[in-house]
Amino acid sequence: MIEASPQQAAPLPGAQGPIKVAARGIDVFYGDNHALRNVSIDVPDRSVMAFIGPSGCGKSTFLRCLNRMNDTIEEARVSGSLCIDGREVYDKSVDPVVLRARVGMVFQKPNPFPKSIYDNVAYGPRIHGLARTREELDAMVEESLNKAGLWGEVKDRLLEPGTSLSGGQQQRLVIARAIAVQPEVILMDEPCSALDPIATARIEELIDELRENYCIIIVTHSMQQAARVSQKTAFFHLGSLVEVGPTEEIFTNPRDPRTQDYITGRYG
Amino acid sequence: MSVISFIALILLVLVAAGFYYGRSRAIRLADGDTALLHSLPNYHGYYAGIWAGLPAFLLIAAFAMFSGPIVDRLTAIELHTQAVGLNARYEQRISSDPDYRELEQAVILLRSRVDTINAELDSARRSDRENAEQLVVLRQRAVELLNQSTRAEEDLRLYAQQVAVQVSEAGRAEGVGLVALAGFELEQTPRERRQLFLSDARRLAQGELASRDTPELRAAGAVISAYQANFRNVVAVAALLLGFAGLARAHMRVNVQFRARNSVERLITTVLFISSGLAVLTTVGIVASLLFESLRFFGEVPLHEFLFGLQWSPQIAIREEQIGQTGVFGAVPLFAGTALITLIAMLVAVPIGLFSAIYLSEYAGSRFRLSAKPVLEILAGIPTVVYGYFALLTVGPALRAMFGAIGIEDVDLKSALSAGLVMGVMIIPFISSLSDDVINAVPQSLRDGSYAMGATKSETISKVIMPAALPGIIGAVLLAVSRAIGETMIVVMAAGQGANLTANPLESVTTITVQIVTLLTGDQNFDSAKTLSAFALGLVLFVLTLIMNMIALRVVQRYREKYD
Repeated sequence: MIEASPQQAAPLPGAQGPIKVAARGIDVFYGDNHALRNVSIDVPDRSVMAFIGPSGCGKSTFLRCLNRMNDTIEEARVSGSLCIDGREVYDKSVDPVVLRARVGMVFQKPNPFPKSIYDNVAYGPRIHGLARTREELDAMVEESLNKAGLWGEVKDRLLEPGTSLSGGQQQRLVIARAIAVQPEVILMDEPCSALDPIATARIEELIDELRENYCIIIVTHSMQQAARVSQKTAFFHLGSLVEVGPTEEIFTNPRDPRTQDYITGRYG
Repeated sequence: MSVISFIALILLVLVAAGFYYGRSRAIRLADGDTALLHSLPNYHGYYAGIWAGLPAFLLIAAFAMFSGPIVDRLTAIELHTQAVGLNARYEQRISSDPDYRELEQAVILLRSRVDTINAELDSARRSDRENAEQLVVLRQRAVELLNQSTRAEEDLRLYAQQVAVQVSEAGRAEGVGLVALAGFELEQTPRERRQLFLSDARRLAQGELASRDTPELRAAGAVISAYQANFRNVVAVAALLLGFAGLARAHMRVNVQFRARNSVERLITTVLFISSGLAVLTTVGIVASLLFESLRFFGEVPLHEFLFGLQWSPQIAIREEQIGQTGVFGAVPLFAGTALITLIAMLVAVPIGLFSAIYLSEYAGSRFRLSAKPVLEILAGIPTVVYGYFALLTVGPALRAMFGAIGIEDVDLKSALSAGLVMGVMIIPFISSLSDDVINAVPQSLRDGSYAMGATKSETISKVIMPAALPGIIGAVLLAVSRAIGETMIVVMAAGQGANLTANPLESVTTITVQIVTLLTGDQNFDSAKTLSAFALGLVLFVLTLIMNMIALRVVQRYREKYD
């Protein structure tokens, strides 16, 4: 776990409930490209926050800061302060590998490993040594698949390759894989953009169930989806955070005209 | 400049003219509005150009290929008709000559006696009752008779030749034409030497050096060149006519609706088809020749002896008096040697190649990758003969010194180890670049997925990327194996030639390819089991690499399907 001492930043105005993620003045550069400008935001625990905004506005970039996936991109630079549970994520003492075990991520395209369904879910517990015995591992796999609402569909075919599932099932398998390492935060980068409406509805239901135990941040291009699943919404535009607030307020009574334009479909 | 090249030049001009003519005619017919045309003006141009040039050039190509034999045939007929008189005279003299008759009778008699004694000998051999002494007597008698009969035939031939010389002398004295004399000479020449006669005549006609130089040959040469010139002129005119006919055809067919594009496409399809057909036919031909020569070999040496025999010593007596050189064709030592060297090469190449591929594709910075990959590819471009003397002059002595230092003295200078090590180095870039492609083909999303789970780089590589890339890597290794099996130059130079059946890499061994090389280089009699065995070895090599390649391609294919 993260060793740095807690240094809780003062909550931003309008925050309510326990804060899980606190970002202050985050800037991200990809080489010469200033992708994210001075973003400050508080994300509450045990809720869903939606990031919306036109393509290239920096919402995925910000998401990838939270589990330091930007580290894998050679020319990416991040500055500012980003705390999870009051501990600095970009502190030198933080091992990104350990951080990522606490901050799970689900990608746009389902990406099950070319292994069996069981091995896909057991992947995280195995590399982090979470299970001491085979029985414990079995139990973890079952619990994760259960939470992802996939257990009933795959319990008789756990040894079949994960790639043999349908797109929606694959995405739920990937969510189960992320849950299996018992993360605290789950990042979802347009998790439904490759799925049909029925599979999408199933995932949204799942997100709603998971909210009780996790802090979930979801990037989406679907305004309806943001309205359906999230409690708070943040609108990004051209690398800046324009507005953040309760979802209902953002969609019914946005303060910023740019937000207004975006949600009414005038651009993006 | 010869007529044909002049015509070819004209045809080229015709092609260019055809192109511009077809193009401009199409534009003119459409009144400048090219959108009205079914095909773009250029296609009309191609169409006209093709018709102006292609049939004519095909004719010229056919002429170049077949004119020689046709002219020879025509010349032979001409010479024959000219020599009818002399021939008749010769026939008449021979049939009325009592001496010739006598000699002929003697030959016939002797031949029949040879047949009889051979039959007797055969039956004596088959039935074991006859004692050995009688057999020896019979055999002696048979040889004697055969000699007599051969001598009699020779006499007959010389006598006939004498008569022929007399006939032609008489003809010359009477003032018979040289062409007729040449025809008569050709008639008297044995069948297998007639081609030589004609080619000598041709050479003399072209002012080159021939094996003989006589007035008759020169006369025959004149006939040949006359035919050649006529034939050439006919073809030249025909080609020119074909060119203009093609242009006329294009002129008639080009109009607004004309589907010139489809015609051109069809021609392209045909050309492509012929090319692929040629490639396939060549392969089939090579395999067939390999197969037939091997069948001849297996007619002399049984298949099981070849495949399972433990001793390889292909020396065969070429002359009768060489003793104890019967030749043993057990190929197992060669298979074992090939396998040993291939194994050593793979032990070197697979880990190094694979690890370097992993480093280059997953760890290395872009700058290092950009400079290291070309260097690896240079390694692949070094000629194998260079690797060969590297193995022979550097690695072999170094190995001997190294093993000598730790007390192992009996290391051959040419050893399986030195050949295998160097071959392994040769194969490294092969494996590394193929594996690199395979690893890069693993989708980035799988890497992201693994990193996002909190996996480290090495965990991601060993648990996600390698399993995903494994089929492709296996395919790469199998391709490398088939390459190692077929590699020749390095082993010829560095593995030695003794067919030892050993698993000791410090001894010299020999491989299938080395034996093929030694069997077929130098003066060889292409009918002996020794040389034929090279084809059998080649067949084995072919089958082995074919199987390897098939498995490899199958594996790689299955891997591809997974991500597409």
